Amino acid sequence: MSGTQQAKGGLPQEKLTTIQVAVIISNFMLGSGILSLPRVSAEKVGTPDAWISVLLGGLVAIVAGVIMALLSQAYPGQTFYEYSRKIVGSWLGHLLGPVMILYFAATAAFQVRSLFEVSGFILLEGTPQWAITSVFLWVGLYLMLGGLGAIARLFELILPLTIFIYLLVTLMGFTIFDLDNLRPLLGQGIWPVLKGVQTTSLAFTGFEVIILLTAYMKNPNKNIKAVTAGIAIPLVIYIVTVFMVIGALSVDGTLTKNWPTLDMARSFELSGLIFERFEFLLLIIWIMQIFSSFTTAFYFSALGISQLYKRKMKTCLYGLLPFVYIFVAVPRKLDDVFTLGDWIGKVALYLFGVIPIVLLIVTKWRSSKHANQT
Amino acid sequence: MRIRHKAKRSLLIAICALALPLQTGCWSKDEIEDQSIYVGMGLDPASETKLEKTFRKEGDDYRKRKLLTYTLQIINVQSESQHGGGQAPVSEKPYFNISETGDSMFQLIREFSARMERPVIGHHLKVIVINEKLSRKYSMNELLDFFLRDNEIRPSCLVLISKGSARGTMVAKDNSIIPSFRLTGLVDNRYRSLKILEPMTLSKLEGKIYGKQSYLLQNVISAEGEVKFSGGAVIKGKTQKLQGLLTEEETIGCVWLTGKGQGGLVKSYHEDNHQPIVYEVKSMKSKIDAKVAGDEISFHVSIKSKGRLTEEWLNNNEPIDPAFKKQAEAGSQKEVRRLTNLALKKLQKQYGTDVLGFGKQLSIQHPRKWEKIKDRWEEMFPEIPITVSIDMEITEYGAKITR
Amino acid sequence: MNRENSIESRIEAIREQIKEYGDVNIRKFELGQTAVKAAIMYCDGLTDREQIDFHVLKALMSYSFDQRPISKELIQNTLLSTSEIIEVETQEEMLSKVLTGFTALMVDGINEITLIHALAGKSRSIEEPISEALVRGPRAGFNENISDNIALLRKQGENKDLCLLKLQVGERAKKDLYIAYMKGIANPALVEEVHRRVAKIRIDNALESGYIEQLIEDNYLSPFPQIQNTERPDRVTAALMEGKVAILLDGTPFALIAPVTFSMLLQSPEDYYERWLAGTLLRIMRFFAAIMALFVPATYISFISFHPGLIPTKLVISIIATRVGVPFSSLLEALIMEIAIEILREAGLRLPKPIGPAMGIVGGLIIGEAAVQAGIVSPILVIVVALTSICSFSIPQYSAGISLRMLRFPAMFCAAAFGMYGVVLYALLLGAHISRLQSFGVPYASPAAPYRLGEWKDFLMRAPLRMMKRRPKLLYPQDSTRKR
Repeated sequence: MSGTQQAKGGLPQEKLTTIQVAVIISNFMLGSGILSLPRVSAEKVGTPDAWISVLLGGLVAIVAGVIMALLSQAYPGQTFYEYSRKIVGSWLGHLLGPVMILYFAATAAFQVRSLFEVSGFILLEGTPQWAITSVFLWVGLYLMLGGLGAIARLFELILPLTIFIYLLVTLMGFTIFDLDNLRPLLGQGIWPVLKGVQTTSLAFTGFEVIILLTAYMKNPNKNIKAVTAGIAIPLVIYIVTVFMVIGALSVDGTLTKNWPTLDMARSFELSGLIFERFEFLLLIIWIMQIFSSFTTAFYFSALGISQLYKRKMKTCLYGLLPFVYIFVAVPRKLDDVFTLGDWIGKVALYLFGVIPIVLLIVTKWRSSKHANQT
Repeated sequence: MRIRHKAKRSLLIAICALALPLQTGCWSKDEIEDQSIYVGMGLDPASETKLEKTFRKEGDDYRKRKLLTYTLQIINVQSESQHGGGQAPVSEKPYFNISETGDSMFQLIREFSARMERPVIGHHLKVIVINEKLSRKYSMNELLDFFLRDNEIRPSCLVLISKGSARGTMVAKDNSIIPSFRLTGLVDNRYRSLKILEPMTLSKLEGKIYGKQSYLLQNVISAEGEVKFSGGAVIKGKTQKLQGLLTEEETIGCVWLTGKGQGGLVKSYHEDNHQPIVYEVKSMKSKIDAKVAGDEISFHVSIKSKGRLTEEWLNNNEPIDPAFKKQAEAGSQKEVRRLTNLALKKLQKQYGTDVLGFGKQLSIQHPRKWEKIKDRWEEMFPEIPITVSIDMEITEYGAKITR
Repeated sequence: MNRENSIESRIEAIREQIKEYGDVNIRKFELGQTAVKAAIMYCDGLTDREQIDFHVLKALMSYSFDQRPISKELIQNTLLSTSEIIEVETQEEMLSKVLTGFTALMVDGINEITLIHALAGKSRSIEEPISEALVRGPRAGFNENISDNIALLRKQGENKDLCLLKLQVGERAKKDLYIAYMKGIANPALVEEVHRRVAKIRIDNALESGYIEQLIEDNYLSPFPQIQNTERPDRVTAALMEGKVAILLDGTPFALIAPVTFSMLLQSPEDYYERWLAGTLLRIMRFFAAIMALFVPATYISFISFHPGLIPTKLVISIIATRVGVPFSSLLEALIMEIAIEILREAGLRLPKPIGPAMGIVGGLIIGEAAVQAGIVSPILVIVVALTSICSFSIPQYSAGISLRMLRFPAMFCAAAFGMYGVVLYALLLGAHISRLQSFGVPYASPAAPYRLGEWKDFLMRAPLRMMKRRPKLLYPQDSTRKR
């Protein structure tokens, strides 16, 4: 009861409940993608069945998440940064760790950059980038200095709000919804849907934090449950999004928009209420989601530096901030931002799609060999 | 404890220090009363106003092609504040229109910044009226590109075609009316009249433009500061230009074929004494069945409707017998058949455009067939046989006693 | 001091000592039927004269001492009919006790000084608490007398689990302080933590429990109150029954309750006294009011200055119409009115009771009306400001109301710098702060975060009492069942 233990110069350390881990995963996933996912998926699939592709992508993500959860269970109390060297040796481990740190840092920067792109276009035309992003980074830093416990608690406040407002806004889109826009179902067979799965499953990147979060769980054995629940929430939200947006704007209308979800919310007005325009509700929770994605990615990037190079967490958090800020400013134009997003997706595919399987096999093989010897 | 507090204090100071210069910033700040909101826009073929001609003589000129003149309807705040104050007679109109001639829409809008102290903002644009002649000449994606790209204009904005000048629809006789609101308000009356088509907003239009689909736009006519929704305008998918206009009767036929009316009436004349019988539509549904037999494609539209007998001029206070009901129903069905035939004939034979979604239904019901023919669809459409079955039932007779 | 000294010389010495204590009186007398001198010393006003006259002077002066020898035991055990007496030997000890209200009795030939507890019972009567008025609920409130307050707690029901740890705070002026908790419910670690923090207090004088609050709270930089204060005994008892710990200080009617979470600050005892539907609705309304009090002016500024596109068209037209001619930016306009309202409120508090509210209403109405007429502010803003202050008054905890009122000003600045984006970031900053904040180890945002679904029965809603069978787990109570 005497408050949280505080290591000298470190951040407060708290163990996370299973629900909290699921909430962190959900919040990390729901980020910049939510506004562009309908377009991205419709581009690849080309038919109104994009939402099926999202469903399949989510299932793929769940499988990958479970593999990672299993992997982490084999090394209780350790994060991926710590145990990866044990599996593949220190040489490869030295490579894997920094790639992951870079990946998380790039993700953090990407989130902030897409925040700037959207809010600069819709909300704050004319406000310079440094002003929008630096305020955001400072608020994020303030949260992160409270440690994982504080992050988890804030996310727990954000998530119900997000789900409620998001479903409210998208379901209000029923005023312009036309089921004909979603038909025919599987008109061109299952093949286009499968083509989109690779893209849509990338929308679910974010579950990979389970390989780091398991170490901080009160109950690490429940991490499979946590990762599944954590993916399931965005899965439902994504399906509802793609379904409603394509249903409201049609495939053709979706393809022409940078942020179709936002445009769907802009496409209807319900008069007689205090607000007849609902995109600002959507933007509010979207900013909150970007905030949570950013803080998670940033925190775990700093955690990697701290664990790999034995530095104090606080130093890492402060030290990483200018680098991420520079990273945010690197893409020159909107297309570069989308390209950066694609790149992050590709890295994620190898880093979290392929490598965990290999590592899991190595781990199992070693432990069985170990069992045979003794 | 001490270390923690020190860090906190430094963070606090950092935040405060950061917050101070931000207060001087306020980059995007623009007080609401320093802006004018435009709520309507009319696009006409180029015809310079007197004012513009004078301006040009005085030296207002820059490189532009005179392609179109467009009219912005701006809310007149001065008059509104009088209104709000409750001083009784409103002497001023609550809006004013200004026009510019040129080519680039965006440049034209920004041109007003040199003419008015309050720059115009487009967040509240409610309606765009496009002149018929203009839309015959330029495609929709040319005319509307700016509106779809702009970050101020909302996709919920309504698009209309005007047979006469678009500027004319932006004028009202009465001092209490804002013409743009009148136009959007008319759309809300769909539950009372079949002459009003489903509203076409920018967001719906965008999908159709991109998908090169044909569609119907509401046509509006104006005279002496009054307007009326009258008929529809057919936009052809490939060119996105106006193909032709539909009369009011043909438009009603289209509404029946799509089943998307919300309410209205069918007036038929009694066969024997030619007195009117009026059927009020309470519900209408239409189902388009696509039939594919080999290469032969055909459609069957089945329309179902329930309604109320609201007016008849012949049956003075006598109870209505089943035979009369049958007669009335048959009369109404005949009338609807006449309207749908008119519409189909015009659309298939004269314009050759599928604005009613037959192609969409084919793609839903026979996606594989559709894949094969979708590029030739507009050429095939005039030759496709379409049959219509109509089933109308009178279920109510109003407040008057039936028997 | 030695035995040979006669009482006269001792009194002389004392007189010398109390020269600077003008309110200390000495009365000399002789024990009954003897010529043995004695004296009492007391502090004027602190002592109950009647009791001293009757139980001390009369008893000693009218007793015939010739039957038994004069002894300390005789006097203390037989003659002094008061419930509490203390014995001291030195003059210094005696003097400090006399100054707190004891009456000292010195008898010639007896070295020890007897101190008689006969305090004047001049405490304020038990009245309805002003700061926490209820429509339904007990009318009793604490007063400035700690023993009365403790008695009020004890009177809430026969309960031998109610424990009261007595401590003293204050280096120069010592004051009694009680830590109250329910044995068997409150977590011993929590009691221990409260005890530890209170014992660590080093201060000259604790005038009010606010001093204690500020010295034991977790984060002194936070704008949120981390310890609850109340004048209501029923509220204290309810808190104790949930496993919390209360601190009572002598000389103030405000008791402290720890730990506290944000949601508790928006609860009122009435939520429980009224039926559950009414209680639930009131609570939801209060949460709503709290959010409005925080963000309405900021939202107004961001809409007016940044996002005219987010306001409904008809509303935007009428807002523009009312704002035409207002010379100030929306931030300045809002600041003027908000500060004026705050000053009015403060002035209304300070004024005598009968004119206070009148002046608030008159001032508000007149200033608002005049400001609109003069074209300094727009009428919409007057509505916004009025709405905000009404909302902030509906918060049952005065201290929570203050922090919300205070926090809306930074929100307005954020809105003026970044519009809606700034407001959202400010909300996130507050959320981050609340997530980091803890009160005696309990997360401030609970039960909203971390999720404790079982406790949501008593969070936004107040479930029927039949359903609330368990105590809140966030305090880790020893006995979690409320009723079997």
